[in-house]
Amino acid sequence: MLSFTKRNILLYFRDKTAVFFSLFAALIIIVLYIVFLGDLIAQGMPDFENKTAILYSWLLAGILAVTSMTTTLGAFGIFVEDRADKRIMDFYASPIDRAMLVSGYILSALLVGVLMSIITFIFSYLYLVIFVEFTMTFFQILLVLGTIILSVLASAAIVLFIVSFLHTTNAFAAVSMVIGTLVGFLAGIYIPIGQFPPYIQTVIKLFPLSHSASLLRQILMEEPLTTAFLHAPSDVESAFKLELGIRYEFSDQIISNLMSVSYLGLTTIVFFVLAVLLIRKNK
Amino acid sequence: MNKIIEVENLSKAFGHVQAVNNVSFYVEKGSLFSFLGTNGAGKSTTISMILTLLARDQGKITVNGHTVGKNNQAIKQELGVVFQDSVLDGLLTVKENLAIRAAFYGMKNKEREEAINQVANITGLTSFLHRPYGKLSGGERRRADIARALIHQPSILILDEPTTGLDVESRKNIWKTIKQLQVETNMTVFLTTHYIEEAAESDYVVIMHEGEIVAQGTPEELKNQYSSHLLIIQTSNRDQVKQVLNEKDMLFFEEKTLIYVSLPSTKDALPILNECERYIDSFEVKKSSMDEVFLTITRKGGEA
Repeated sequence: MLSFTKRNILLYFRDKTAVFFSLFAALIIIVLYIVFLGDLIAQGMPDFENKTAILYSWLLAGILAVTSMTTTLGAFGIFVEDRADKRIMDFYASPIDRAMLVSGYILSALLVGVLMSIITFIFSYLYLVIFVEFTMTFFQILLVLGTIILSVLASAAIVLFIVSFLHTTNAFAAVSMVIGTLVGFLAGIYIPIGQFPPYIQTVIKLFPLSHSASLLRQILMEEPLTTAFLHAPSDVESAFKLELGIRYEFSDQIISNLMSVSYLGLTTIVFFVLAVLLIRKNK
Repeated sequence: MNKIIEVENLSKAFGHVQAVNNVSFYVEKGSLFSFLGTNGAGKSTTISMILTLLARDQGKITVNGHTVGKNNQAIKQELGVVFQDSVLDGLLTVKENLAIRAAFYGMKNKEREEAINQVANITGLTSFLHRPYGKLSGGERRRADIARALIHQPSILILDEPTTGLDVESRKNIWKTIKQLQVETNMTVFLTTHYIEEAAESDYVVIMHEGEIVAQGTPEELKNQYSSHLLIIQTSNRDQVKQVLNEKDMLFFEEKTLIYVSLPSTKDALPILNECERYIDSFEVKKSSMDEVFLTITRKGGEA
């Protein structure tokens, strides 16, 4: 199983277009920010002295949440291709257990997702350190890594579920495109959640990855927010947090971090079980 | 006699289509066995069932003493497969591909290295072992596919149309390699093909048509049994000639403007020629080739 996992990872990284496209959504976010979204969001904010740090750390959290899903999706492309090209027949004709094969696909997607997200994090963090004089404590970095892993797990489960319906590479390309575009909106990353009408806000809150985004925002923005709201009344601060999706509220109740983490965990379990049942049925 | 693969009363339907219908045959150990048939004859379906990849509706398959459905893992160790379409990863080198497949059979590092070198020598791919599979020519890819099939030293090599889509030169070379393998390592080779000349070089041929076995035997036997001679008639009154042939219950097939009639002996041409004299533009009687034997068996009066 380990060499099979290694094969999948190797195939992902050898396919430069796959790597590029799995980072495509993140690149779009960055470009949109530079072009106009950044100004737009900045205008809607009060003038803090460390506004740039707040904006950038908010952006970074969003990018990480999106990347955790799109890279995992990219890695699962190999699974779809193997099935579409009948390559999987060669594996089935070998004395290797089918459960092992599926585990190999999942494990490689998880590793690719975590690795790519961490690489994205390192680059973005370095950028922030150099240009915005933004720093994080070691503990915060650990928290970010933990959240990335959790986010990748939930993404992998959702993606595996979706991918088990796809039997052609064309279908996969189309679905990747849609997911890549939609995930940014669904996680409230292109546009802050507060600017949407209530029913869309509910959709965003139900989308599991928006919880990875909010958890990441809390960690990454902790320091800039404390500085910014040092002398502000606490209700202004909580209103701001709700506006940017740092915290969510569900029927007037603030969703706790524990609830967000549990929601991601639950998503992982439910979708994995569904996907495994589907794959079993298909064979 | 040692039957290394034995298939008894095998059937498989896909919906209303009976892909394989009550097929029985066996493969002798160490022989070169050909499964001949047109596309859609049921060859690949039969192979998939032997490979344990497809569930059968009915029948029994044993491979070297192991029964399909009971000892599938053991069967997978016995069989090496070259699929019709390439199944190796284009972005990885031949060596990387082989190493991954070797690991499927539980081989460890050193063992893997040895196995790769050995199959590379047998199939003659040492020179492009480090090139990406996707960048190879058709013939080189086929060599790599065969190497992959041999990586775990199977006792039977199964090839599904190994030479389809290759140029004449590569086809000859691949065929030579396959023959060599069989002769030098005494490996059992089971292949499907729609090239008659390949089947003619095998030890035993089974001809499949529309899911059923229509003929089997050594190439010699088939030639003797099915038509040692052929009457070729050129006519502008096709229907009348065909009527005569049907009345006489002759085996025949049509191709372009010609009608080919298979004859047990040259003399049998005379009554036909007498009766059709008025319709015949020209005719020829000759000894039939393996191609024509195949066409006689599978077309049985059908259109070309």
